Amino acid sequence: MAPHETGKLPHSITRATLFVAFLKIGLLGFGGVLPWARRVLVEERAWLTDREFAEMIGICQVLPGPNVVNLAVMLGARWQGVSGSLLALTGILFVPVMAVLILATFYASVAHVPVVRSAIAGASAAAAGLIIGTAIRLIAGLRPPLRSLLLAAAVFIAVGVLQAPLLWVLAVALPAAIAVEWRMQR
Amino acid sequence: MNTSFDLLFEIGWRFASLSLLAIGGINALLPEFHRVVVDIEGWMTSAEFADLFALAQLAPGPNAMVVSLLGWKVAGISGAFVATIAACGPSSLVSYFAIRALEGMRNGTLRVVLQRALAPVAIGLVLASGYTLAKAADRSTGALALTLCGAAAIAATRVNPIWILAAAALAGVAGIA
Repeated sequence: MAPHETGKLPHSITRATLFVAFLKIGLLGFGGVLPWARRVLVEERAWLTDREFAEMIGICQVLPGPNVVNLAVMLGARWQGVSGSLLALTGILFVPVMAVLILATFYASVAHVPVVRSAIAGASAAAAGLIIGTAIRLIAGLRPPLRSLLLAAAVFIAVGVLQAPLLWVLAVALPAAIAVEWRMQR
Repeated sequence: MNTSFDLLFEIGWRFASLSLLAIGGINALLPEFHRVVVDIEGWMTSAEFADLFALAQLAPGPNAMVVSLLGWKVAGISGAFVATIAACGPSSLVSYFAIRALEGMRNGTLRVVLQRALAPVAIGLVLASGYTLAKAADRSTGALALTLCGAAAIAATRVNPIWILAAAALAGVAGIA
């Protein structure tokens, strides 16, 4: 199937580079894949702008399924059709699954070693920071209007601080955001 | 029918039936997975479930790989692959057809409106997941400092995240976290 013609298809996106990019995201994505997805797709390969990346993530969040898995399916489909989706999925999901199974077989024996636990505690703390930093980077890249910043802040407070159920937050925030953006287009 | 096939089939339909409910990712469905594999099927204890969850967080790759580990625990390698495909297959198909439909819209007003509306929601959710992880990880001032350093390094520099994580792991060994 031919890739869709909306927007330009960067020349550097072949089936091989697509697979390698998602493999890199999958294998390096310690403590959350999203920072790596932005790093590889936006910074290293320049296949997407920050705006396009944020929009894709937004679509992935609304659809069911793991966000980065959805991202792989969608970008694979956009750039290389069905085979692109399958290649991106293999890179981001199936290869790391094999790695984690190998890890799982000896995890039990090292999990309680104090040095391992301290290293993991340090890396986990930084991994949370990577995700927060990625959000900041996206805001800086998009330079959204005030109404969008307020919406992002409201969603963050509702889901992160108040721990409101995601479905309810989406049910309120999305129609409101669409209504406002629709008016701005008029 | 041999039992291992029955078991794989059981994993398959159990996980596939949850796939389309996973709005916001697999983590949103963890309580439901717990209910199925621990309470209903009795495939593992609650503690084993928690261990597999922790391992999926530590390992590289999407956190959704916790479903692969659950399948692995129940039925080995084939269980891992059946679980992964069952949990991610239906939602992946939806994503595939959704992007096709969206691209079919070309650059119509509706598409622009949808994208403009979705981006800030996505950023809010990314920030929320970072905050939630930080709350779980930061049990000391040192750990909080590592989180802030990690965020600042990503936001303000182009340093490769692998070095940030490695430095933080060393800091953890040094007793900072």
